[in-house]
Amino acid sequence: MVKYILKRIGFLLLTLFLVASITFFLMKLLPGTPFNNPKIPAAQQAILAKQYGLDLPLWQQYVNYMVGIVHGNFGESYQFAGQTVSYLISTRIGPSLQLGVQAMIVGTLLGILLGAIAAIRKNTWVDAVATIFAIIGRSIPNFVFAALLQFWLAYKMNLFPIALWDGFSSSILPTLALAMAPLANTARFMRTEMVDVLNSDYIELAKSKGESQWQVVAKHAMRNSMIPIVTIIGPMAVDLMLGSLVVENVFAIPGIGQQFVQSITTNDYPVIMGLTILYSVMLTVVILVVDVLYGIIDPRIRLSGEGN
Amino acid sequence: MKKTYGVKIAAAATVAVALLSACSGNKSSSTGSTGAKTTWSRMEGDIISTMDPSLITDAISGQAATDTMAGLYRYDGSDLQPDLATAVVKPTNSGKTYTFKIRNAKWSNGDAITANDFVFGWRRTVDPATKSQYAYLYSGIENADAIMAGKKKASTLGIKAVNKSTVEVTLEHAIPYFETMLVNPAFFPQSEKAVDQYGSKYGTQSKYLVFSGPYKLVGWNGTNNSWKETKNDSYWDKKNVHIDQINVTAIKDPSTAYNLFKSGKLDDASLTGDQAAQAKSDPSYQGVKQASTFYLEMNEKKIPAFKNTKIRQAISMTINREEYIKKVLQDGSIVAPNLTPSGLATDPATKKDFSAEAAKTGSQYTKYNPKEATKLWTEGLKEAGLKDLNIELLTDDGENSKKTGEYLQNTFEKNLPGLKVSISTVPFKTRLARSTAGQFDMVMGGWSADFPDPITFLDLFTSNNSYNRGKWSNAEYDKLIDESKTTYANNAEKRWDVLLQAQELLTKEQGVIPIYQRVQAHLVKQGKISGLKTTPGGAYDFVGATVKK
Amino acid sequence: MADNIKLGADAFKHVQVNTAEQEKIAAPSLTFTQDAIRRLKQNKAALISFWVLVVIAVVAIVTIWFSPADPNAQHLAYQHLPPKWGGLDIPFVNGVRKGVDLYATNHVPKGTYFLLGTDYLGRDMLSRILVGTRVSLFIAFLATFFDLTIGVFYGIISGWKGGLTDTIMQRVIEIISSVPNLVVVILMLLVFKPGLTSIILAIAMTGWVTMARLVRAQTLQLKDQEFILAARTLGESGSKIAFKHLIPNLSSTIIIQTMFTIPTAIFFEAFLSYIGIGLPAPTASLGTLLSDGQKVLQIYPSELVFPAIIIVVLMLAFNLLADGLRDAFDPRSNNR
Repeated sequence: MVKYILKRIGFLLLTLFLVASITFFLMKLLPGTPFNNPKIPAAQQAILAKQYGLDLPLWQQYVNYMVGIVHGNFGESYQFAGQTVSYLISTRIGPSLQLGVQAMIVGTLLGILLGAIAAIRKNTWVDAVATIFAIIGRSIPNFVFAALLQFWLAYKMNLFPIALWDGFSSSILPTLALAMAPLANTARFMRTEMVDVLNSDYIELAKSKGESQWQVVAKHAMRNSMIPIVTIIGPMAVDLMLGSLVVENVFAIPGIGQQFVQSITTNDYPVIMGLTILYSVMLTVVILVVDVLYGIIDPRIRLSGEGN
Repeated sequence: MKKTYGVKIAAAATVAVALLSACSGNKSSSTGSTGAKTTWSRMEGDIISTMDPSLITDAISGQAATDTMAGLYRYDGSDLQPDLATAVVKPTNSGKTYTFKIRNAKWSNGDAITANDFVFGWRRTVDPATKSQYAYLYSGIENADAIMAGKKKASTLGIKAVNKSTVEVTLEHAIPYFETMLVNPAFFPQSEKAVDQYGSKYGTQSKYLVFSGPYKLVGWNGTNNSWKETKNDSYWDKKNVHIDQINVTAIKDPSTAYNLFKSGKLDDASLTGDQAAQAKSDPSYQGVKQASTFYLEMNEKKIPAFKNTKIRQAISMTINREEYIKKVLQDGSIVAPNLTPSGLATDPATKKDFSAEAAKTGSQYTKYNPKEATKLWTEGLKEAGLKDLNIELLTDDGENSKKTGEYLQNTFEKNLPGLKVSISTVPFKTRLARSTAGQFDMVMGGWSADFPDPITFLDLFTSNNSYNRGKWSNAEYDKLIDESKTTYANNAEKRWDVLLQAQELLTKEQGVIPIYQRVQAHLVKQGKISGLKTTPGGAYDFVGATVKK
Repeated sequence: MADNIKLGADAFKHVQVNTAEQEKIAAPSLTFTQDAIRRLKQNKAALISFWVLVVIAVVAIVTIWFSPADPNAQHLAYQHLPPKWGGLDIPFVNGVRKGVDLYATNHVPKGTYFLLGTDYLGRDMLSRILVGTRVSLFIAFLATFFDLTIGVFYGIISGWKGGLTDTIMQRVIEIISSVPNLVVVILMLLVFKPGLTSIILAIAMTGWVTMARLVRAQTLQLKDQEFILAARTLGESGSKIAFKHLIPNLSSTIIIQTMFTIPTAIFFEAFLSYIGIGLPAPTASLGTLLSDGQKVLQIYPSELVFPAIIIVVLMLAFNLLADGLRDAFDPRSNNR
């Protein structure tokens, strides 16, 4: 196991290197420079490009950048003059992380519950209501959902703050808006898997041994239904934690999601790179954890590579 | 999305819109009252990108700089008033030498503001190592171009401290609008002590700054969505600063802004599109006119038919600007009969508005006249030897781009037989890159004044200007613009005349097709604030404004 | 007590062993697919959903030629009209908003009705929704196609082969999913003309990854199970095992994930519209309609409500049909 994990960490570093390299060259294909502000004359832009080292041959820029990363230096933002990428990310990721974690907890727990209940009460009205709820939750884009929550619960009914980042109460509506997708996803997967599992022989066996339905569900069915959920939860969590432009815009939250989109549309190369690498680290680590979890949840799965 | 259309820092046109009629009269009414602080809550569309005066380029950082820093001059409405200088001075040596007396003022850390702070700040901005994007504004000051190109040292810049309180600036040639540029943060003094002390962190957070202006920036960590401005007791004119604290929040969604205003969380909200249209019936509605014009550029290099004047005139006359603004933009913007926006500059002799004077002749070319447009179009096509024309309208991800594209496409195809328009949508930066590279048929561009003089607009469309992306070229026009800079540089009235002629020529030829001048829609809490003025560029000037508790 | 019962020889009868009778199968003989379709037909919700989808698709396609109005025709005088259904005086569909009959105040000629109202340029919402449905279904269809081709096979191969192949394939997935989608889209906008093609290609290049990961995870689980072991022992080829045993057993995961691919694709396009680089104007999609509607939610709710209803109905139908398909095709499901 330890050997397997060490090996995977080795691959992880390789993956990160490749992601950083690919993103670097893809970005250089983006049209325009970070300076093509309509106000800056072409001559001044050329001077600026030189000052930022953007006139060097591509390979040299690449080497400079990679050397910087190894030393933990992700460079300075173009959009926010003088601000280092690490500082920019570290100050803005807090709210996004908090919302992502909250949404993940609320979404998956409710989703698992909803899915399990639907599966146990399969083909009853309970199942129908749970299914329809999950589908509607999945059918409305979050920018619509966020706006609806703001309008009804905050503006009309005055139950929550309309927007702005000011204490826990202001995080409730954005959490709900973000939680809808993981809720619907886990509910659907949970129901499907659970139905399959409940039909399998070992469940019949457990039932025939006289275990009650709830015992069967809790002891056997839940655990065995988790495989696809674990697979989707990982990347979903990473996506959520890196923020959502839409929800951050609607609720005026100082998160990282807006910055990510903005850095792409404004060619802020260092910020794009920094966030992509952060995303990649989180994603690969989560995938590694998920792969290890597979083995724990389902002993029948051999970790690929183990024993080879 | 940060839209750099709005790059309109303090140094911009002369559109003075006194927000409430009961302004400057009651300046000192609420000072001296003890107890509760007076606050004003407003919003911006994005966050501050930097507070290093040498690096500021966007309007949001520019507003924060206007509030917390001081330059030689400050706009009081549209009047240029001395700020750190003791008076608005006249140049000597045929317009090439300016000598400023610095008043007795202090930085927020208690140090005196001296002539050396100006010399240091200016040299720092123009030094290539600072990477200032606005260094080009210095062009025309002695040696500035050579310094920017790395050929001379920053210490050779034409500015020197004659003594502790006297600054002398030397220009290479007379710049008629030089004094108006001095309200731009790029020309503000900088404390050498602070810059040395904070090093690369200077200007990146409120704790890495010293302030010379009416307010101090508080609680800005460099990336956050909200910040505060509290009264600066070291400011020389603090007796005219009546609002104790200004709270600012960045809000991107117009519905959110509207809801926050309605629930009393904001005293001033700026709105766009349908929210603006909805707000117009609200008694709190205010329109803030800006010195920016939006226009269509036609690429004559790529589509030779655009070289035909009749075709360009036909396109202009087929646009129903009133309808477009009222129904599509809905934000209260106004029709632009000329490239130069209204309220930018006034005739030195008659005090008449430049744009209004220019519009007297040639306004028929920007008036909706579909019949005449169809006629000119058919003639133009025949002269160009064409039966039909397919063009692509390049637009971006901006607020109104989509609606505008759809409207123009429809209106062109309706009135101009044989014209097919397709729309291409790309991100803003890509749109700029394509405009610059000439990879477009037709594109909607915008420009906002750098300083309140028509030349900031008219200079753009001379044959060799890099902003003349459509490559419209007219020898007569080039000659007129050149004369305004050389022959008549020191003759205000003559200079005015040639600029006026140039503008009339541009309108008649429709080298670019002006569409509208932007007005920003605001909801402002009624009866709370008085005496708030806007500078020519549309920035607020909080000095002299008062609020009720 | 000697109540003996005498049984004569005639009391016994030879039992006729009818082999044919014994082996007779009461139900008609069906192939796997026929059986699945039979089971699908028994599922009422799935059947209704199927027909709902057929009707929506047919209407969306037929209106290419027979649209109620030109979806791009602008009438600026009739901006943001609420829905009006003839002379019916039912709230929300009587042309009245906030107590004002906007059809009267805007001088709309008598006899002209916009069943679903108009948008910000006075275009007929009904016609735009029809176009939008067509475009969105097309995007969803192609996204599903790439999911099923690239995603499923990539996942099976990765999970089945295991070892080094799996390791490499999984690292490739990590790399692809780490590159921001938006960068890919913007590059596509550059390489191709901005529009449907570049958006679909971006979705195709990045969308299949989740499917591949899910299929791999399930394949890992399945490949050590007895029936696969049996098939292997019997010497079946890898591809035969994949098609005959793996895919049927993966079907529930595949079908459910497909049901997520569809909204993900539609919403990705909607997100691009939201940030302003979606489909070029004036083409409508459900995404552009929702994103335009969201901006005026508080002022003109009908412009959001109708596209939202369509997308919810579509999603419900897709999902209920998918549930039916899953029950019908999954060999493990005992709903038979």
